[in-house]
Amino acid sequence: MAKKLKSLLSQVQDMASIWPQFEVALGPGPHSVVWFGPLKGLERPFTLSIEYGLPVSGLVQRHRLFPVVRVLRPSLVLNFDAADEAPLPHVYFEGPDYRLSPLCLFDPMANEWNPSMPIAKTTIPWAARWLACYELWEATGRWHGGGRHMNQEEPQDAA
Amino acid sequence: MNQPIHGNFRPFAVIGERLLASTAIKIELPPSQHALMVQRKAAIEKHLEREGSPLRGLIRLFYQQGSVAIGATIRAKFRQEGFDIDIIVELLGRGNLTPAQVLDLMFEAMRGEPGSRYRDCTERQSRCVTVYYADGMHLDLSPAVLLDERDPRRSHIFHSKLEEPRWKDTTILTNCFGFVAHYNARCPIDQIFAEDYGRLVRDADLQMQIMMKDADSVPVPVHSTVVGGKSAVTVALQLLKRNRNIRWLPRNRRMPASVMFSCLSLEVAESGRTIGQNLRVIAEHILDRLLQAKSLGELLYVENPVCQGDIFTDRWPVDQTDQDLFIGDMRLLLRQLAELFDDRRSFKDRSKTLEDMFGETVARQVVDEFAAEMGQSVRSGSHFLGAAGGIVAAPSIVSAKPAAPRNTFYGTKWPKS
Repeated sequence: MAKKLKSLLSQVQDMASIWPQFEVALGPGPHSVVWFGPLKGLERPFTLSIEYGLPVSGLVQRHRLFPVVRVLRPSLVLNFDAADEAPLPHVYFEGPDYRLSPLCLFDPMANEWNPSMPIAKTTIPWAARWLACYELWEATGRWHGGGRHMNQEEPQDAA
Repeated sequence: MNQPIHGNFRPFAVIGERLLASTAIKIELPPSQHALMVQRKAAIEKHLEREGSPLRGLIRLFYQQGSVAIGATIRAKFRQEGFDIDIIVELLGRGNLTPAQVLDLMFEAMRGEPGSRYRDCTERQSRCVTVYYADGMHLDLSPAVLLDERDPRRSHIFHSKLEEPRWKDTTILTNCFGFVAHYNARCPIDQIFAEDYGRLVRDADLQMQIMMKDADSVPVPVHSTVVGGKSAVTVALQLLKRNRNIRWLPRNRRMPASVMFSCLSLEVAESGRTIGQNLRVIAEHILDRLLQAKSLGELLYVENPVCQGDIFTDRWPVDQTDQDLFIGDMRLLLRQLAELFDDRRSFKDRSKTLEDMFGETVARQVVDEFAAEMGQSVRSGSHFLGAAGGIVAAPSIVSAKPAAPRNTFYGTKWPKS
């Protein structure tokens, strides 16, 4: 049975309640919003944008499938020499500026996220986990967060 | 004994503190090595009192001095990464022996007869006899003679440098026993810090489990984290000494004495501070003392607070160059400490600062282990989140949010490979 879609207003209210440091604005296209705000992985604050919209007939946009999280600043640093996940771990590579590539926070094949879920209790904590692992990866070249890639059978370890 | 003081702070809630604590644990004498040291000390004591030993019947007391006695022993950076253990061998008297003869006697007694296991690993120094072990540990045995029965442990030790003329030989007043008692009585211990730090040490040293298991049958003095608890001041002192080793060993000059650091640390010791706060306060105090001496055209002077005439700065600083180098070191340390705790800096940059402060090998181990531990916490979802995000391994802050559902990081491979 299909899960009940969580309304945009409800998502916005949850975010305001749990992560009040995020500001909300109108998103790209109808029935969509974008949040901007600071989030820490370890201790360093990063500014993120989270685009999200409800499904609209005729519009095929990534942020209507799931919340699209990007790190705005400080800019992510590509490392082509990293032992793991070079040059950037667990993102959907997107040019021209790959540093703004959306983060891959869950496995769509494993049904870890659907539009009935509150972004404030899933996407944001997952983004914090990603940022923590990114900082550790930046320092050591090793990705400690587990995960898998498209066309890869088994996840290395769930986060 | 130290008086535990109850506080309400969690000492390792911030990354800087956690990295400092892990570094201190990496460089200090672990419980298993402590037990080994106790065994070796007992074996040496027995060896010096053996039938036929030149010192048989002449030893009054055999006790630890210096860093071991205050729980601040650290690895020597370049001497095979081992540990320096200082032991006073208190003799009943010296008779008519000169300082050189006392040290020679100690050397002969320790080397033993041909075939002795100490024969080829014993070396006479200018104030002590050193026994080297294959694993890098070395015990420095300083012969001493008590000066006054009514003033326990105020002693003379002996100075005789082999390459110098004998008229330069001398005796030196010391009361390291009194200073150790003074330090241990005044160094504040915060219970929560002591418990949390002790837990980190035990996690890091699995040998501890073996020691605890055998504790009933093997009556050995136990590690400083077990008896009375470890002071954050002493941990800061260990880090300060490590930083001194990093700065001074490449200079090929005599380095500032450890006991001088202990004395200056104690002058500003207070309860309720974290390791990082202690390190900052102590470094600022040392810098003040150095600048004060420099402004008067003098050299830093530190005296044993319980023994007038026992000068902790008798061999260092030799000149203003030594003093100026140390002033620069303290300024650099304070700047690096601020960088280590600056949460606007990347973890990568802070890790690099840790390497610069305490050495690449140790710092990298600390960072790798921290990364693995945090990764495990992320993968298992067993962490909390701070109010502004931030992975928190344990709910040590009131506003911590519970963990979210588990997730699997996903994504595409780099398209241009």
